Amino acid sequence: MTTLRAQRPASRHQLDWLTDELIHWQSVGWVDPDHADEILRSYRPTHRLSLSRLVLTLGAGFLGVGLIWLVAANLDSLPPLLRFAAVAAFWLLATAAAEWLASRREHAGTVPSPVVGAARIVASLAFGAVVFQAAQSLQVPAYEPKLVGFWACGVLLLGYATRATSTLLIGLALGTGWFVWQVVWSSPDGLAVVLAFLVAGVVAVGIATLHGRWSPDFTAPWREVGALLVLVGLFAAAIPDIGGGDDFEWSPALVVGLATAALLSVAGVAAGEGRARLEPLAAAVLTVAGAGLVLWDPPNDPDALTAGDVSHAVVAVVLYVGVTVLVAVLGVVHDSWRLTAMSTVALVLFTTVQSFAVFARIIDGAWLFLLLGVVFLLTGYGFDRARRELASTLEGDAS
Amino acid sequence: MTLSIPARVGAALLIQLALVVAAVAPQLSARVSGEEYLLRVAPLDPIDPFRGAYVTLDYPDLRDADGSQPSGFDEGERGTVFIPLVQEGDVWVMTQYSRTRPDSSPYLACDDHDWQISCGIESWFLPQDDARALERSVADGDSVARVRIDGRGNAALVAVESR
Repeated sequence: MTTLRAQRPASRHQLDWLTDELIHWQSVGWVDPDHADEILRSYRPTHRLSLSRLVLTLGAGFLGVGLIWLVAANLDSLPPLLRFAAVAAFWLLATAAAEWLASRREHAGTVPSPVVGAARIVASLAFGAVVFQAAQSLQVPAYEPKLVGFWACGVLLLGYATRATSTLLIGLALGTGWFVWQVVWSSPDGLAVVLAFLVAGVVAVGIATLHGRWSPDFTAPWREVGALLVLVGLFAAAIPDIGGGDDFEWSPALVVGLATAALLSVAGVAAGEGRARLEPLAAAVLTVAGAGLVLWDPPNDPDALTAGDVSHAVVAVVLYVGVTVLVAVLGVVHDSWRLTAMSTVALVLFTTVQSFAVFARIIDGAWLFLLLGVVFLLTGYGFDRARRELASTLEGDAS
Repeated sequence: MTLSIPARVGAALLIQLALVVAAVAPQLSARVSGEEYLLRVAPLDPIDPFRGAYVTLDYPDLRDADGSQPSGFDEGERGTVFIPLVQEGDVWVMTQYSRTRPDSSPYLACDDHDWQISCGIESWFLPQDDARALERSVADGDSVARVRIDGRGNAALVAVESR
């Protein structure tokens, strides 16, 4: 008899699938109705995005940010060494508590525990507080990007040690933030911003491809972050007059990032599996295309629309729509609703910004909205057709 | 052989601790093994989002009176800059800038990748009210920074005092 305590958690989607499969298994005689009922009753439905998960995540975020804020408050009633000891003790306790909670999960189902996730968020943010408290106590100069870099390294390391996706995602956000900040700090130019996002995207996609072979659990987060970075980089590249590279300098961080991206692309192509091995190559090609868009600097006179401006916009739109289609197809192929949603949101934002940037200079009022409507309809139709055809072709080839 | 989760987490914590040390290595080295020098300071100013209020300090004796670098210094090049110090009264002042490490101490190992030269002693973090008071006090008079410098030119700000 299955007791309530022995029930394992499963998402609604998983239970729907299991119910359908059990009906099929009964029809072919693999299980009898009683056995099927017992299997079904051994699971309990959970929501991936439940209220408790939301509240726990928010609480963990507030607690972590509050701790960093407390560091920033520079409480002079405590000597710096005592403050450092207190923050470090909190960090060690939070990390130990998170892993203790993770180890006592008896059900070990596929749905991640929201409590463990929240504790890991606190531990990740607490490590940042330790880095900043040490830097404050030793008077490391303000606005030093490398501190965020060290924070990111520590969090990524913990993510790999504990195989925790939430920790990995925080590390990826911090790592990206550090890299873009470090590059732009040394070279405040539009081309540097675009290259920072795109190079970080190639690195992420390359690592995702390698994970496909060696550690598949982490493939999806790396791939999704990589796709997001490529979309953001190309979005910035397509903005008219973002900066034609006049103040651009090859900073050490960008050179190292570019070399790493090249190495990971080659490694991804050489060691990746199936079609996924082409993904780093596609990201690398898009990086070159993005840099080309920035360096192609049409007149961009606010009072007159030239053929150069229109050509730039058309090429940017075609390129971006192509990339969003590619990301949507990856969403279908890798069964990731996040990639599909990402491509849709990116397309809507991009079309709006480009339409206003190009057409609003010569058309106003109702005509602008009519034109925007036509542009949206045509783009949406083309996007949907291309996505369906590519996805069905790829799925057909795969089966 | 695969490590158990507690062993992996323990190793990660140790490496994280090493990362904290690496993040503050120049200042830590100067505090632990450096000697103390007095440098004149002037205020610049505000707030770091992660570490709170601070006073940005300028060092008039570490640059020419009319600019951030001495005339004749290679303006096209960026990277590590060494600033040898000589004593002038009770404070220490620069003699010249150099791209090569000086043979004798004391000197500061700085970086000019940014728009200004950074020697790791430009910010003094303290509570917000104290920061305002210190800024006024430094602006008014003859303040000095007490700095520890190790044998490799790493520097750490130890105190800001009025003379």
